[in-house]
Amino acid sequence: MDIFTIAIWVITAGLLVLSFIKDKVKTKDALRKALFMGRGMALSIFGVIFAIGLILALLPPEQIADIIAKQNVFVATIAAAALGTVTLIPAFIAFPLIGTLATAGVGIMPSVAFLTTLTMVGVVTLPLEKREFGTKFAVTRNALSFIFAIVIAVIMGVIL
Amino acid sequence: MSKAVKFIKNNLFLLAVVIAYLTITIIHPSLGALGIKNSGYYVKEMLMIMPVIFVLTALLDTWVPKETIIKFLGKEAKTKGVVLSFLLGSISAGPIYAAFPFCVMLHKKGASIRNIVIILSSWAVIKIPMLLNEAKFLGFKFMIVRWVITVIAILIFASITNKIVKDKDLPQGKAQEKSGVYINRDACMGCTICTKKYPQLFQMDRKKANVKEYSNLDMELLDSAIKSCPVKAIEYN
Repeated sequence: MDIFTIAIWVITAGLLVLSFIKDKVKTKDALRKALFMGRGMALSIFGVIFAIGLILALLPPEQIADIIAKQNVFVATIAAAALGTVTLIPAFIAFPLIGTLATAGVGIMPSVAFLTTLTMVGVVTLPLEKREFGTKFAVTRNALSFIFAIVIAVIMGVIL
Repeated sequence: MSKAVKFIKNNLFLLAVVIAYLTITIIHPSLGALGIKNSGYYVKEMLMIMPVIFVLTALLDTWVPKETIIKFLGKEAKTKGVVLSFLLGSISAGPIYAAFPFCVMLHKKGASIRNIVIILSSWAVIKIPMLLNEAKFLGFKFMIVRWVITVIAILIFASITNKIVKDKDLPQGKAQEKSGVYINRDACMGCTICTKKYPQLFQMDRKKANVKEYSNLDMELLDSAIKSCPVKAIEYN
């Protein structure tokens, strides 16, 4: 295992022991929350993972990198951002996926744009957001998030 | 609806993936096998990190005193409110759609539009337990740079939203706001904690929590159930 995985296991185990010493009932509640969060997502996560596996078999990461390299980098970034708005991939699958694509040579700007809109802009959750907050709020927030996702991507592309 | 039909309806995407695999494997067996092999890598990575992420998220969600934070989110609390909004969003558990009703509740309690946008955005992109996972796959430098730039970007567009959207643009006094105890069944993920805290009031019905008929309430029990709900699905007016 790598250092980051070990770190997160050690930190979590430490906090869990501390939490258990302080309050058994609260700790049990927390574990129950964790279990149900996992159970609620497990099936859809497997669906997403196997879909990604199949897509990468049909369209290998090197080919994706090749296609993106042929485009104008800003067009590719905007396209990646747009793809992110309609995709539902949990972040802990998105990171290794972006890792795979980056290793294959996909540029940093499209990767960051995809990563940011993936979680911050939700076309699928827009109707729900509209119902709770009204159209003006939902549209403004999602539109600004999209624009700033591209700004974040461009700045990161310049820095890194 | 029979259980099988319901299961298929709830997992249409999974079914589509299975059918795609079968079709491709029949036409081109090596591609199907490669797909499974690719997926194996992600399944392994997921199993290594997902359990701890969920436990860590749930622990943060349980121990950080949210009630105290919420008190400071009003319009006059400037810098403090902004910092606390970031904190609240990045430690909260649950999917983003659970954040919507939670933020509506905060807005009613006086949180500004700016702070609500900050909470929603940080809930989405800067989950603290995820940062180590990001560093693992994309590098420590990448994670820090992205984190800093994203926080700055969120601050800027939260201010812009605050200028464009006024408090009156948000739906006022919705029909949804029933009096008494109410459970948002869209948000409920069926963790059964409320039925353990206050079994006289809450029961499970089709894998989600439900409010039983009641005549008088034990406010202490109700309060502990509301506080321990991981997706803030219980409301009391």
